[in-house]
Amino acid sequence: MDNLKRRKIINYVAMTLASLCAAVGLALLFIILYNVLVEGIGSLRLRLFTQDPAPPNLPNVGGLRCAFLGQGLLTLVASIIGVPLGVLGGTYLAEYGRHLKICRLISTLSDMAVSIPSIVIGTFAYAILVKPMGVFNGWAGAVALAIIILPIIVRTTEEMMTMVPWALREAAFALGAPYHKVITSIVWRSAMSGIFTGILLAIARVAGETAPLLFTSFNSNHFQLNLNQAVPSLTVSIYQYAASPYENWVGMAWAAAFVITILVLFLNIMGRVIIKLKKRD
Amino acid sequence: MEDLLSVNNLDFFYGDNHALKDVTLPIKKNKITSLIGPSGCGKTTLLRCFNRMHDLYPNNRYQGEIMMDGQNILGDQVDVINLRNSMGMVFQKPTPFPMSIFDNVAYGLRLKSIRNTSTLKEKVEKALRQAAVWEEVKDRLNENAQGLSGGQQQRLVIARTLAVEPKVILFDESTSALDPISSKKIEELMVELKEDVTIIAVTHNMQQAARISDFTALMYIGSLVEYDDTATIFTKPKHKMTEEYVTGRFG
Repeated sequence: MDNLKRRKIINYVAMTLASLCAAVGLALLFIILYNVLVEGIGSLRLRLFTQDPAPPNLPNVGGLRCAFLGQGLLTLVASIIGVPLGVLGGTYLAEYGRHLKICRLISTLSDMAVSIPSIVIGTFAYAILVKPMGVFNGWAGAVALAIIILPIIVRTTEEMMTMVPWALREAAFALGAPYHKVITSIVWRSAMSGIFTGILLAIARVAGETAPLLFTSFNSNHFQLNLNQAVPSLTVSIYQYAASPYENWVGMAWAAAFVITILVLFLNIMGRVIIKLKKRD
Repeated sequence: MEDLLSVNNLDFFYGDNHALKDVTLPIKKNKITSLIGPSGCGKTTLLRCFNRMHDLYPNNRYQGEIMMDGQNILGDQVDVINLRNSMGMVFQKPTPFPMSIFDNVAYGLRLKSIRNTSTLKEKVEKALRQAAVWEEVKDRLNENAQGLSGGQQQRLVIARTLAVEPKVILFDESTSALDPISSKKIEELMVELKEDVTIIAVTHNMQQAARISDFTALMYIGSLVEYDDTATIFTKPKHKMTEEYVTGRFG
């Protein structure tokens, strides 16, 4: 009886502590969201999307049009580089290289690479693509973002493909299918929604990144989408505007932060919804 | 009675594990041969030699021969893809591909570069009829095959195998995951299919082996214990072990 009582108390304490921690975490998240929401909506003006940056002393002029486009362009180029590499790399790990020790090592390293601080990757891109060229440039930013999404996509692709039962592959082999056909027509098809979700979540992860862009594509106040030069960036603009002493710039930073938060939230929710729908099948 | 295949002194190794030991038996054309024996006896290993499924995994090694049309199908010069085209396989659990019913059956045909829509339609219908599942699926050929019941899926898989017109179909405990009614349908189907193909079936179900097969081989720890026509195996076997196994006193 005593023992039972003790266990009940321990259970109660553990549950309370766990709930408390969860509550603190959630509360912080909601405070951030609430702040961004209130401040952001308050400062949201249409000109944020239609005008390019203006000097801070001019009221009611200026926006971040070029920064939205620049950020979008960087994310797009990063995806064009990172998604095919990631999907094909993950495919190799799950299929052709599944018996190789080196591939297990690559998987483990990819898991570690997911948690490398993004500023370190930014520094790396600076060293290989900015320093030799002598100028901040969009390519370096896109490559930095691509490096961040690469291990995420490699690992989700590998995991999703490994989850496809071997019997299904064998059934295709038994019909005389060559390996590449088995992969493209059976395994990819079975794992498609999972891989797609992984890609979506990876893109959501970098869509709001600032650190890897700081030393690479940096920022520009002009409407310029040439990747050989510094490219306007929303996140870097937020960083600069928020730290500025000008009230209208700070307001614009809030508004931009609000927009990008909603966007990333939307991408994430979409990813989860796809996973949920898939699980229901 | 013609031998379609003859297994001669076949040994098989999973790395260091000697899984088949000096197996010799004929496979008669247009007959059903059952492979029976306790778990781990090597019957599935033997079955998977016929379509060289073992080639998919490293460190597997064959020794000896399986002759078909004067050629050793275990030879290095054999094109495995061609071989598998003539050796269909149906697995224990149904393996419908994540695509429509039609595309499932057309899968093997498309691999053979048959693209003509009317030819495909014709062959798909023929295979589905042969597999006795046409009436149940003819109105939903474009629906996902994974929505069918287990028994229907298994017959669909048989249709998919039949579509490429194989000489042999290998059944690997293909009724063990099904309910009794579905499994009875598959059994009846196997007997009907004898007209067109040769069947080799691994089974744990003694009654099933007795009901459907013409020949039966009993295996034990990698070796062939006895091979004969089914009636002999089940009524007057030569080996004591066979008698004990088929009567359920050991296994």
